[in-house]
Amino acid sequence: MPTLTRQSLSLCCFFLLLFNTITAAADVEVARQLFAENRSAILQIRLIDLTSGSKSAIGSGFAIDHNGLIATNYHVIELAASEPDQYRIEYLTETNQAGVLTLVDVDVINDLALVKAEQMVSQPIALASIEPEVGVPVFALGNPLDLGLTVVPGTYNGINTTSYYPRVHFTGSLNSGMSGGPTLNQQGQVIGINVATAGNQISFLVPTARLQQLVVDYQQRGSAVTEVADYIGSQLQADQQQKMTQLLAADWQSIALGQAQVLQELPPFVKCWGGSNNTNSKAQFLSAERSCRSEDNIYLNAGFETGILEYQFFWLEADKLNSWQFYAVYENLFGDFAPGNRATEDDVSEFHCDHDFISSASQRQSKTVLCTRAYKDYPGLYDTVFLQGSVDNSDKAFISHFTLAGVSRENSLRFARRFMEVSQWR
Amino acid sequence: MAVVIEVLGWAGKSRKRFRVESDEVTVGRGYTNDIVLSDPHISPQHLRLNATDQGWAIEDLNSLNGVQVVCKRGDIDGVFASGSEIKIGRTRLRIVATDHAVEQTKLLHRLELESSRLNRLAIWLPLFIAVFITELVAIYVTTAVAWEWKNVIPMLLGAQLVILAGALFWALVGRLIRHESHLLGQYSLLLLATLLFSATDWLLVTLNYNVNLLLFGEHIQRLTSLAIVFVLFSANLALATNLSVRSRWITSACCVGLLVTIGLVVEMRRWGEFSPFPEYSSTLQPPALLFASGRSGDAFLNSADDLFARADKSIE
Repeated sequence: MPTLTRQSLSLCCFFLLLFNTITAAADVEVARQLFAENRSAILQIRLIDLTSGSKSAIGSGFAIDHNGLIATNYHVIELAASEPDQYRIEYLTETNQAGVLTLVDVDVINDLALVKAEQMVSQPIALASIEPEVGVPVFALGNPLDLGLTVVPGTYNGINTTSYYPRVHFTGSLNSGMSGGPTLNQQGQVIGINVATAGNQISFLVPTARLQQLVVDYQQRGSAVTEVADYIGSQLQADQQQKMTQLLAADWQSIALGQAQVLQELPPFVKCWGGSNNTNSKAQFLSAERSCRSEDNIYLNAGFETGILEYQFFWLEADKLNSWQFYAVYENLFGDFAPGNRATEDDVSEFHCDHDFISSASQRQSKTVLCTRAYKDYPGLYDTVFLQGSVDNSDKAFISHFTLAGVSRENSLRFARRFMEVSQWR
Repeated sequence: MAVVIEVLGWAGKSRKRFRVESDEVTVGRGYTNDIVLSDPHISPQHLRLNATDQGWAIEDLNSLNGVQVVCKRGDIDGVFASGSEIKIGRTRLRIVATDHAVEQTKLLHRLELESSRLNRLAIWLPLFIAVFITELVAIYVTTAVAWEWKNVIPMLLGAQLVILAGALFWALVGRLIRHESHLLGQYSLLLLATLLFSATDWLLVTLNYNVNLLLFGEHIQRLTSLAIVFVLFSANLALATNLSVRSRWITSACCVGLLVTIGLVVEMRRWGEFSPFPEYSSTLQPPALLFASGRSGDAFLNSADDLFARADKSIE
């Protein structure tokens, strides 16, 4: 019997191997064909610094109509959108023809941009009208690391349901420089725009539907965007309004953490992780933590991202510590909170903070801190940090914290009110 | 006519005095002189003072380095009246007549009368123990890992060494200026200041925690620390120097000013620097120290409009 098993196993492996060779050969043929047919349609998008006359950033793009309209990522052309006097957008074809592009429309939420050449640069690539089936081979095209046009075969894994903003999960290696390039199905139609990678073979594409919507919006308006910052500001405003309305209308379930009740995971907005020091034999106190965070970052510039929602809870018990020692640890932890999104002096004000003790019939006395910083280019949007820690128990403590990035004052406060109701140690 | 020769030290203070009952006084390194000085730049037979009616004539006895006049009193050429100063080699000398007027007697300050009482083991020891215990308690209440003496002792001794170094410094200053070190007295003063500092700090943090005056609280804390340093300096100076009360206060005020300046210079680099992190009051104290009552969450959030307005204003 054991021999047989081994035999059948080796037979199995052989078949798998054979099968693999056959499909790989088919993939290679499709890849070769797609590459040959579309190589001239894929452009390198370059940002030229006018002072030095050299390229500062590169990405990819592709023609989508016969009038010179080209799709790429917002983050590829961001420098020219924020500093139009310092950067020029240029394209470079596969045959080394270069030309100037003008920015005509952006969708910062989905990291898309439309740029336009004076005339048709290359044959457009058709956008797929139906979503492929999960598991089909798809092919990403672009200019990784300025190495020249490259085709990367991979697998379509559907639209990621665990994030708020729709992104295609593409199993294949995207590299920097491929951003803005198309990913094609076997028929040579665009099923997504290369946008991000999360390491080994896990990459993300913006679904084609987002691009189609942007093209429709642009065609309806009929002219290029002029005040880009205001335009982006209104996109961010509308997006946070829609997202927060949906978020606040959602059913907020709570879950126990120590003796406290904390806010449960809120799909598709956040994912939660947790941990404790229970297994640490040297620990003098007990600490259990639950951290929830959205994976939706909106890229605004190299040092500034927004759209993040995170909340965090800590349950602490003094265990071997007396109340003075316990409060020293607790104080240290309480002083260590920061927002999860990056921002620089050019983008936001400093944080302004208020703090006070809060207590009511239904709530334990707690120290509450609220901090906010205003966006400089997008008035009416703020990053808000909320922090609350119980202060009336000498050997137990509960901390709750949230950060909301790029949200209006009203929505921040509505969220805070709801958050305080749901996450409590009564 | 008798003459007093004073050997002057740092800041013109008299270091040594010779009194010679003769009209003719020889000064030099040789043992045959009336006044024998050890400065190697002085010749064995350096000079001779010859008494006259108005003072003394100075006769250079062919010395190698000669006689420099630092300050000549009296109107007659070649005659040095009482109070004149000369320099031979590297030694400054003042020539004084026995009837030369001396400065008025200084009134002893109350603290100086008490200073000998401060300089006693019976004062120092309790203070030392008190500071030691305070320090130990402070370490204990902030330690969240298993208690290990091998970690605690270096911390304890480190703090004590800093205090001891301060006391030694002032004792040295006292030894140089007043020829009295008052080591235990200085040590006791520093210990007392440390205790005072810990107590006010703790009180103010607790007060600030309860009454929510973040900026104000911080300023008060700084001002109290400076006030303690000012009083401590004045007391140190009283023990170590002969300064009058007025100049002592001025000196301590200058020292405090210097500390403030150093603090400002160090902080200056951070002025206007952008921080992406919120700076908020993170003080938390055990319920035993909490006296404040809270307001409702709604009231807190309703007042947040002002917070957003402040953020808006800062980017205008």
